Amino acid sequence: MGNKYYTPDGFNDQFPGICGFKRELESKLRNLFLLNGYEEIETPGVEYFDVYKEFVPEESLFKFTDSKGSLLCNRYDGTIPAVRFCAGRNETLPARYSYIENMYRAGKQGGGKLSGFTQGGIELLGASGAKSDAEVLAIAIKSALEIGITDLQVSIGQVKFYKGLMKQLGIGEEEQAKIKTAIANRDTVTLEKLDISKEDKETLQMLTESGGTYDAIEQIAPRITDEGAKEALDNLKEILDIMERYGFLKYVSVDLGLIESSDYYTGMVFKGYTYEVGFPILAGGRYDDVAKSFGKEIEAVGFSISLTLSITALMRQEKYIPAKAAAVIVGGDFEAATVAAEALRAEGTAAIIDTTGMDEEALENYAKEKGIETVMYMNGGNA
Amino acid sequence: MLTIALPKGRLADQTLDLMEKAGYDVSAARDKSRKLILEDKDAGLRFILSKPSDVPTYVEYGAADIGVVGKDTLLEEGRQLYEVLDLGLGKCRMCVAGPAELKDKLDEIPNKRVGTKYPNITRSYFEGVKGESVEIIKLNGSVELAPLTGLAEVIVDIVESGRTLYENGLDVLETVAHISARLVVNRVSMKMKEDEIKPMIAKMKKILAEEQEEA
Repeated sequence: MGNKYYTPDGFNDQFPGICGFKRELESKLRNLFLLNGYEEIETPGVEYFDVYKEFVPEESLFKFTDSKGSLLCNRYDGTIPAVRFCAGRNETLPARYSYIENMYRAGKQGGGKLSGFTQGGIELLGASGAKSDAEVLAIAIKSALEIGITDLQVSIGQVKFYKGLMKQLGIGEEEQAKIKTAIANRDTVTLEKLDISKEDKETLQMLTESGGTYDAIEQIAPRITDEGAKEALDNLKEILDIMERYGFLKYVSVDLGLIESSDYYTGMVFKGYTYEVGFPILAGGRYDDVAKSFGKEIEAVGFSISLTLSITALMRQEKYIPAKAAAVIVGGDFEAATVAAEALRAEGTAAIIDTTGMDEEALENYAKEKGIETVMYMNGGNA
Repeated sequence: MLTIALPKGRLADQTLDLMEKAGYDVSAARDKSRKLILEDKDAGLRFILSKPSDVPTYVEYGAADIGVVGKDTLLEEGRQLYEVLDLGLGKCRMCVAGPAELKDKLDEIPNKRVGTKYPNITRSYFEGVKGESVEIIKLNGSVELAPLTGLAEVIVDIVESGRTLYENGLDVLETVAHISARLVVNRVSMKMKEDEIKPMIAKMKKILAEEQEEA
């Protein structure tokens, strides 16, 4: 067993200082979610493979079987289990759920992304329209700000716009797949070579030029005739209006080429970025068709933020404050130390009692090693 | 500050020429020492020199904002990157090659063994484009040896002049893809450093268009 002391590829231990820091971020997120009325749910972390098979490539799931031979998999994200949960109950909608949990993704995640990581997120189920979209987007932005990610850029796009545009341009399915990849990769070389009119090419090129807010929408709007695509642009405009009221417009830009995400999105989509990590730290969008897989019609929108990537970003942005073991260590006379420590704890100060009988000097050294600020050494009975 | 990952060798020099024409001060990167990171604070540019096939890794992880990489590497590794510009440098073809007598008879061999440094490109070409299963034998160099020694019937490899092939009695049988160097950008950098990256792309694009007109 050569691997006895190691964690499997893609999985990390959380060291105490970081773990404590992470828990603080988690409680900030939890508070924010609850303040907005998103009740926390906990799903088991193990799902039937069938729950995920429509939505996630098979090779990205950690799979195993139960005692009856049913194929199971680990929780891949927060959204699908939340929809499963909601679809299985006769709940009054809209329902607002939140979660902070570990996700497990098999295979190469690319770019140093871990197979096991923590996400916090919310799902607003049974609600359609721009106001609901905007609520989730606003909470996504608040989440990043709340945990200290202040250099934030969120791109918003619209899957319906892209689909409508493909219809308008009369592009067949096979060609569409090619165009989708090209737009997702901002690959203007491929778009240039397409066998369509010059004007249509220009329209597609506009999808690769992200940036701007209202101006981006106004620029492309006159070229759009498809009703679905028009509605999509109106939806984005209304979301921008609401963002302005929150004072969040400065964080948001429109990116009509934002279509590389999961195929289950049906409307507004967004991704959030910060400095010092090469990947989006948060992502979300509208997914009205997911519940159909569970036999229900539930329009829904949600988002998740990766705490793991956020912590990496905060560390590199020098905003990481390691959690301390305790503020005080009390040593010397054990009985007196116990009384003193309990008094400190009653006031809410974290205190450690030395149970190993260190002398004063050893205790000082130990405290220094552990980053404990205050040392109290009790002399027998009269401290 | 923009970090640019360049593949060591001729392609790096050619890219720097292009950037220079586009009005960037790249003198720092011309340093012929053995330093791997070359920085010019005034110009706001930092260059890292890496093995060509590692460039997309640096860019995908965000360790570099921009990189220059061959389309072959991009096709093989399928990285999550923005591929914004065809630099028209390092042009060549990805080909199926084999003994000259197999010309136009490639489809007659069932269950072909294919030697290659590019297993993913090979698989997606034979399975996706041609609709047939093949046995892929991954090699790390001198791929031409495979058909000569009977290790494989054919190979999939980069062909520039084709000299190595011809001198060994091999020939190009089919073209899989046309290859050239691409400018790639990290997806987050594109958003967070838009003000620096977008003008750079625009300037380089303009120079490339001008050069094409002259040619």
